[in-house]
Amino acid sequence: MRIFLSTMVGMILLNVLPVGLAAEGKIFPFDYQLVQLENGFKAYLIRTPANGQISYLTIVRAGAREEWEAGRSGYAHFFEHIMFRGTEKYPNYDAITTRIGAARNASTSLDVTQYYITAASDSLEQIVDLESDRFMNLKYSEAAFRTEAGAILGEFSQGRANPYLYLAEKLQDTAFDEHTYKHLTMGFEKDVRNMPEGYDYSISFRDRYYRPENCVLLLSGDFDRARAEQLIRKYYSPWKRGYVPPQIKPEPPQKAPREATVAFLGRTLPILTVAWKGPAWSATDKLAVAAEVLGRVAFGSNSDIYKRLLVQTQKVQSFSGAFSLNRDPNLLTVMAMVTDEHDLPMIKDEMEKTARRLRSELCDPRSLSETKSAMKYEFLMGLETPLAINFALRDIVVSTGGIEAVEDYYRTLESITAQDVKAAAAKFLMDTGRTTVTLQSAKESNR
Amino acid sequence: MRKILFLAAVLTFPTGFSTPLAWPAADPGRIVALSESESPLIAVNVWVKVGSQNDPQGKEGLAALTANLLSDSSTRQDAYEQILAKLYPMAAGYDFNVDKEMTVFSGQIHRDNLAPYWELFRNSIVSPGFKAEDFKRIKTQTLNFLKQTRRFSNDEELSKELLYWAIFKGTPYGHPEEGYVQSVEAITLEDVRAFYAKYYTRDNVVVGVAGGFPADFAARMRNEMDRLPPGRIADIPKPAPAPISGIKVLIVEKDTKATPISFGFPIALRRSDPDFPALMLANSWFGEHRTSVSHLYQAIREIRGMNYGDYSYIEAYPKGYSTQVPPTNVSRRSQIFEVWLRPIAMTAPGTLHDRSLFAFRTALRELAFIADQGMTAEAFETQQKYLNNYSVNFGNTIGRRLAYRMDDAFYGIPDPGFLASIRKELAALTLPAVNSALKKQLQAQNLWVVFITSDAEGLKKKILEGAETNITYAGKQPQSVLDEDKIIARYPIPVKPADITIVGIDQVFERR
Repeated sequence: MRIFLSTMVGMILLNVLPVGLAAEGKIFPFDYQLVQLENGFKAYLIRTPANGQISYLTIVRAGAREEWEAGRSGYAHFFEHIMFRGTEKYPNYDAITTRIGAARNASTSLDVTQYYITAASDSLEQIVDLESDRFMNLKYSEAAFRTEAGAILGEFSQGRANPYLYLAEKLQDTAFDEHTYKHLTMGFEKDVRNMPEGYDYSISFRDRYYRPENCVLLLSGDFDRARAEQLIRKYYSPWKRGYVPPQIKPEPPQKAPREATVAFLGRTLPILTVAWKGPAWSATDKLAVAAEVLGRVAFGSNSDIYKRLLVQTQKVQSFSGAFSLNRDPNLLTVMAMVTDEHDLPMIKDEMEKTARRLRSELCDPRSLSETKSAMKYEFLMGLETPLAINFALRDIVVSTGGIEAVEDYYRTLESITAQDVKAAAAKFLMDTGRTTVTLQSAKESNR
Repeated sequence: MRKILFLAAVLTFPTGFSTPLAWPAADPGRIVALSESESPLIAVNVWVKVGSQNDPQGKEGLAALTANLLSDSSTRQDAYEQILAKLYPMAAGYDFNVDKEMTVFSGQIHRDNLAPYWELFRNSIVSPGFKAEDFKRIKTQTLNFLKQTRRFSNDEELSKELLYWAIFKGTPYGHPEEGYVQSVEAITLEDVRAFYAKYYTRDNVVVGVAGGFPADFAARMRNEMDRLPPGRIADIPKPAPAPISGIKVLIVEKDTKATPISFGFPIALRRSDPDFPALMLANSWFGEHRTSVSHLYQAIREIRGMNYGDYSYIEAYPKGYSTQVPPTNVSRRSQIFEVWLRPIAMTAPGTLHDRSLFAFRTALRELAFIADQGMTAEAFETQQKYLNNYSVNFGNTIGRRLAYRMDDAFYGIPDPGFLASIRKELAALTLPAVNSALKKQLQAQNLWVVFITSDAEGLKKKILEGAETNITYAGKQPQSVLDEDKIIARYPIPVKPADITIVGIDQVFERR
C-alpha cells in the first residue's frame, strides 16, 4: 500500500515516493477495497489525496449498445436525464445536491451511462442515501418525461451544427449491419423526435438495466473506509436483482470494403475517415492491446504519416488516429481534415498504404517502446483528482465489471512486441474490414 | 486519512537573478510558486502580459497567431517534428491561451520527465524558430478556423463571441482574439517577429510553477525566462464600452434549426472588488454555469424543456461548452454580465421565432425580477451553503490552482489569493449586502442581445410588432406554468427599428 507522508515546510520539499508499489510492479498507485453485496452490487473504495473531497461515480453498464429494439435508439441517454427527476423520498434531487454544494453530472456513451458527484467528504452519507434511493426508487410522471424529451431534442439540435457528429453517424451506420453500434449515443433523429411517446418503454429500460448486478460504484477520495462500507451495505442491500441482458446481434464479418459520403449542411473543409473493424477491449488479450498500440504507432502524433501530412506537406489541417476499443468489437478509426478536396484520394491512399506497411513490416522498436511509455504516462498523469481517477478506471469496469484488470492491462501492454503489433495489423487492418466515409459541405447551402 | 497540507506562497525573489529587479510596485511578483510536494505532477505556467487588446489595427489576431506559432512550431534547437517526437513518450504537450489581456503558456508533466519537458517548453518561448513553413501551417489552420469552424460548427459559442463584439465595438476588446478573416490574411511572418520582439520581454513575463517540483526549480524557470531581452510595455487604457440605451439586437442570419441566444451589458465589477463575492453568490443562484442550480435553467429547461441549458456570468467565460469549472487566465479589466441560452429548438409544435422570443422573454423577465427585488432570505442561505462546497471544485487540479494564482497577480489580489479566501468571504456575506450589490450591478433595460437564426427578417418583424409569442408543450403542464406563460408571452421587449441589425453568416467576423 502506498503511504503518503504529507510534510511541507516552506520551500523545503520532501519527495515522498510511493515505496513498495514500484517493487511489486503495480501501476495503479492507490490502495482500494471491494465491497460486494449479495444482490451483486459492487463498490470499490479507493482512498486518494483529495483535500476533504470525494468523487462518487456510479457506472451503469448500459449505453447505446443496449438499445437493441427497433425505434428505441437514444434511450440510454434519455434515461440519464430522467434520473434527475426525483423519488418519493426525495422529490427534488437538485435541491439536495444544491444544499450540500455537490457538483453533479452524468453522461452516456456507447457502452455506459455514468453518474458522478463531487462533494465534501462529510456529505458521504447523504450522497449514499440519495444515490441509492434514486437508483432503486426513481419516480417520474409522463408529463415530466415529455418535458425532458424537449431538453433532449434541444441537445440533439445544438449538436447538428457539428460536422464531426454527422460523419461519425454515417460511419457507424455504414460499417455496421446488425450490432447496435450502428447508431450513436444521441440516437437516430426519428427516434429522438418520437421520444415523448416512449414513457412505458423508458420504465422497461430502467427495469432491465438499472439493477445492482449491472452497476458498479467507484468511490474515490478522502473518506473513512469502514464507515463508507457500512453505509453502502445499509443503503444498497435492499436493491433487487433483475438484470435482463440485451439481445444484441453479433456483427457478421465484413466481406468487402465499404464507402460512403455525407453532405454537411454547413461549411467545412472535407473530412475523411478510414476505419477498420477491430477487437473488443481486453486486459489480457495481446492482440487487442497490440491493436491500441498499433493505432498510435501507425497514426499517432509521432507517426510518419502524421508528420508528413500535417507538418511537412501540410495537406491536412488535423489528423488523428487513436484506436480506442469498446466492450464489443467496434471501429479502429483514422480521421483527417483535408486542406484541398483534390487531395482526398491521395490521403486515403496514404492511410491504406500505412496499414499495408504495418501488416507486412515490423514496427520500429523505439517507436514501440515510446508508445508504451506514452500510454503509461497518460494513465499516471490522468490520476490527479478523485473524479479523474474514477474516470481513468471506468472503461475497465465497463468491459470487465471491476477495476482489478488495471494491473493485467498494463502488464499485457508491457509485454507487447513488434511481432504482436504486426499480428494485430494483419488481423485487423484488412481491406475487407475497411469502411471509408468522406464528409463535404453541401455546396449550395447557406447562400 | 491524511489531509493534504497545502501551502500557497507567492514568492518574490528580490536578488540573485540576472535581471536587476525594477519590477513596478503594482506587480506582485515575477514568480508564482505553489508547492505541493507530495504530488507526482508539476504544472508550469508562463504569463506574457500581452493580449488581443494589443493587436495592431488591420492585424487583429496577431497576438493569438504569435502565441500559436511559438507553441506549435520549431525552435532554434529543434524542428517541430523533433519536438513532437520528444514530447510523445512523456504523453505531454503545452497549451497556449490568448485572451484580451493575457497570453499564457501552460502545461503539466509527471515528475519523471520534468527536465526534458521544461527544456522544450522554455525553448518554445525564449528561442522560437520562426520558420516560414511553420508560419504557413499555423496561419492556414487559423484561417480555416475563422472561415469555416467558427461560423459553422458551434453556433452557441459564436453567439457569445458576437455579444462581446457588439458591446465592445470600437475598443481594444472589440475584436475576437483569433481576429477577422481579412486581418489574419494580412499578417506576415515579419509582423509576428516584430510583435514578439516588442512584447516577449523579460520584464513582461511572470512565471509560475506548482506541484511536486524540486526546490531550485522556480528560480531556475525565472532565470531562464530572463534570457529574453529587457523591455517595458506601457499600459493601454482600460476599454470603455459605449453606454447602451435600450435593447439593441443583433440577428445573424444562418440556415439553422435551433437558435442560440446571448445577451448582456457591461458591469463595473472585477474579481478584486469588494462587491465581487456578493454578486458571485447572486449570479450563482441566477445562473450557475452548467448546473441545475441555475434559476434560469430551472425556468427554461427544467420546467419548460425548451433547450439544454441556461446560465449567466459576471466574468468572461469563453468556451463554456467544454468546461464545468471557470476558465482561468482570462482576466480582464472590463467585464460584462452575460446570459447564455443554449440553442432553442422545435421541441413542440409552433414556430421557432415564437419559442426563441419566449425563451428570451423568460430570461429577461427573471433578470428584471432579481435586479428589482433581489434574493429571498431562503435562496440566499441555500446558495451560500452551496457555494461554500461547490467553489472548492474551482481549484480541482494543480494547474488550475496555479492559474488562479496567476490571475491573482493580474488583479492584485493579495495572499492567500482568491481561491483560498473566497469561502471565507462568501460566509461573511449578508443578504442586504448581496441585494445592494445586485441593485447596483444588474438591470434589464439596457443591453445587447444576439440571436443566430434563419429568417432573420421574420424575427425582426416579430420583435418590432411586439406580438405575443405563445408556446406549446409535448406534455401536460401544471396550470400555474400555463398561467405564467401567458404573462411571459407578452412580456415587453422594447426595441426601436434602428436598433436591430441583421448580419449574414458570411459577413460575421470577416473584417473590422
